[in-house]
Amino acid sequence: MELVPFLNYAIAFFSLFVVNVFILIYLKHRNVYLKTPKKTDWKPKISVVIPVYNESAYLKKSLDSILSLDYPKDKLEIIVVDDGSTDKSYDIAKSFKQIKAFRKPNGGKGAALNHGIKKATGELIATMDADSYLARNIIAELLPFFDDPEVMAVTPAVKIRESKSWLKQLQRVEYLMILFSRKLLSFIDSVPVTPGPFSIFRAKIFDEIGLFDEHNLVEDQEIALRIQAHHYKIKSSMTAEVYTEPPDNLKDLLRQRVRWQRGGIRNYWKYRYLIKPEYGDFGMYFVPLNFATLTAFFLILGIMVHSFVTTPYYVQYIWTDVLGFNIGLFTFVGAFVILTSIIFTYLSVKSFRDEKVPLRYMLTFIFFYWYLMIGYNLLFLFQEIKREGYSW
Amino acid sequence: MVTQRKISIPIYATAFIISLIIFVSGIFVGRLITTSGLEDLSQDVSDVSQRVASVQILLLMEGNSSAFCPVYSSELDSIDENVEVMGYKLSYLENEQQVSDPELKKQYFVLQAESYLLSKKINQVCGDDAVLLINFYSNEDCDDCVQQGAEVLQARDESDRKVKLYSFDGGIGSPIADAFKKQYKISRYPSLVINEKTYPGYRTSDQIKAIIEEAQ
Repeated sequence: MELVPFLNYAIAFFSLFVVNVFILIYLKHRNVYLKTPKKTDWKPKISVVIPVYNESAYLKKSLDSILSLDYPKDKLEIIVVDDGSTDKSYDIAKSFKQIKAFRKPNGGKGAALNHGIKKATGELIATMDADSYLARNIIAELLPFFDDPEVMAVTPAVKIRESKSWLKQLQRVEYLMILFSRKLLSFIDSVPVTPGPFSIFRAKIFDEIGLFDEHNLVEDQEIALRIQAHHYKIKSSMTAEVYTEPPDNLKDLLRQRVRWQRGGIRNYWKYRYLIKPEYGDFGMYFVPLNFATLTAFFLILGIMVHSFVTTPYYVQYIWTDVLGFNIGLFTFVGAFVILTSIIFTYLSVKSFRDEKVPLRYMLTFIFFYWYLMIGYNLLFLFQEIKREGYSW
Repeated sequence: MVTQRKISIPIYATAFIISLIIFVSGIFVGRLITTSGLEDLSQDVSDVSQRVASVQILLLMEGNSSAFCPVYSSELDSIDENVEVMGYKLSYLENEQQVSDPELKKQYFVLQAESYLLSKKINQVCGDDAVLLINFYSNEDCDDCVQQGAEVLQARDESDRKVKLYSFDGGIGSPIADAFKKQYKISRYPSLVINEKTYPGYRTSDQIKAIIEEAQ
């Protein structure tokens, strides 16, 4: 078989396999999928660390959501670290008497988080973005996961509120899909990120594995990989809700995704040594999956370009003039792959009983997302080649 | 610390088997549809053969009379269009789907030969000035043949004259194709025959257009 058809088939099979693994994990755990472990009476002191850089537009609302939490106030320590903002962020934080506000010269998000963690006195430390809002019951939903002494971090359900903006609606579908995937990954102890909008850690984990990497593009992923490297568990809750503000224009969205992609690939490369049986599913499935996905993506792009350049005249003629004739072998395999992806997206969204997403957004997401991926992967490649720097 | 981390082998094994089943089903359904495409094509060839036979009978009945020229012309134009599309479908099935039917291909060449000879005759009887272009190609050892097909098509589409296009695979041992090869002294591929004059070797669309413009 020639190389290009072989790669076509191989990528189609790979995509099918990955989606099927997720669907099987879901089917295996569907009865406990939305459940939180039994509620606990444990009320540890929790420090919430919020790094801030020019967030005056959202900060007050965000801090109000913490102060409204359904958790004893004397057990909550709120620490805002202003990373050299040039707006009124620091003044907003100072205006709350219950909040400890610190100011430091600009040094990046990781450095700001670490500054706050060093000041924190809680048994648990939560990290939170200044443009995120917490559900009142979030702590009660997250705490029971810590009954397992091997659990070092718990991630909540990071969501986006319904919006009239189509870009936000598509991101909303994406966030639900990411959340769905993360929950499934938590069943095989392979959660790869403790999301910036809100995550909660045992304070002692920072003593054991160190603080956030201050020179990382996606420090919330790097710390999760480090936790995995130390054989600790990260669990994911579907009922502890955090709402975040997504980019509202394509330029900012691309910028965010390129950062995630660049930082993500660097992190997986750094932790490639985890590809060993002793790291279980995380080492033998999830880490290789990231490299395989990126490789498959660039191969698909190459195949598309190759096909565009080399398609013989009679195929073009048939495609354009004799519609319906071109239902060949690969087209059918491709149709199965698309169908499986639709099923996966549908399952992701429908698994959240309270989330209503119109079908048109799900379908637009499936087809639009591919073009978004082309955009940010090409930009990622371009910036990597240029060795461009990045700041938050 | 977690003492031993698990690898969920049953999940991966099941996912692999399910993926394999879906994948093979996809290929099977695709194969069925491609085969049915071949059957449809076979039916098309036999339908057009009958139409060619009808024109031949009419021509024999009427001798060299030009009374039926408008009928010949419109019927033959439609036949030629069908024959050309069938050629693309055959090439597509053969090269893109790796499905070939040598017998169907031979039938198709007979049909093309009939259509070609009929066009030649009608050019004489009706004074039609359509240019008849035959593209001789081979699917073996001919790097330029696919590109030559595209150049011919482009020249035909861009030319101001009416051009009727025929293609013969000289490498499959069809008696009709062999007879044409002998008649036009075809010794290499690709080669073009334009209004019965042979042009061996690869030609660009501009070169072909120039030949078409000057063809008698």
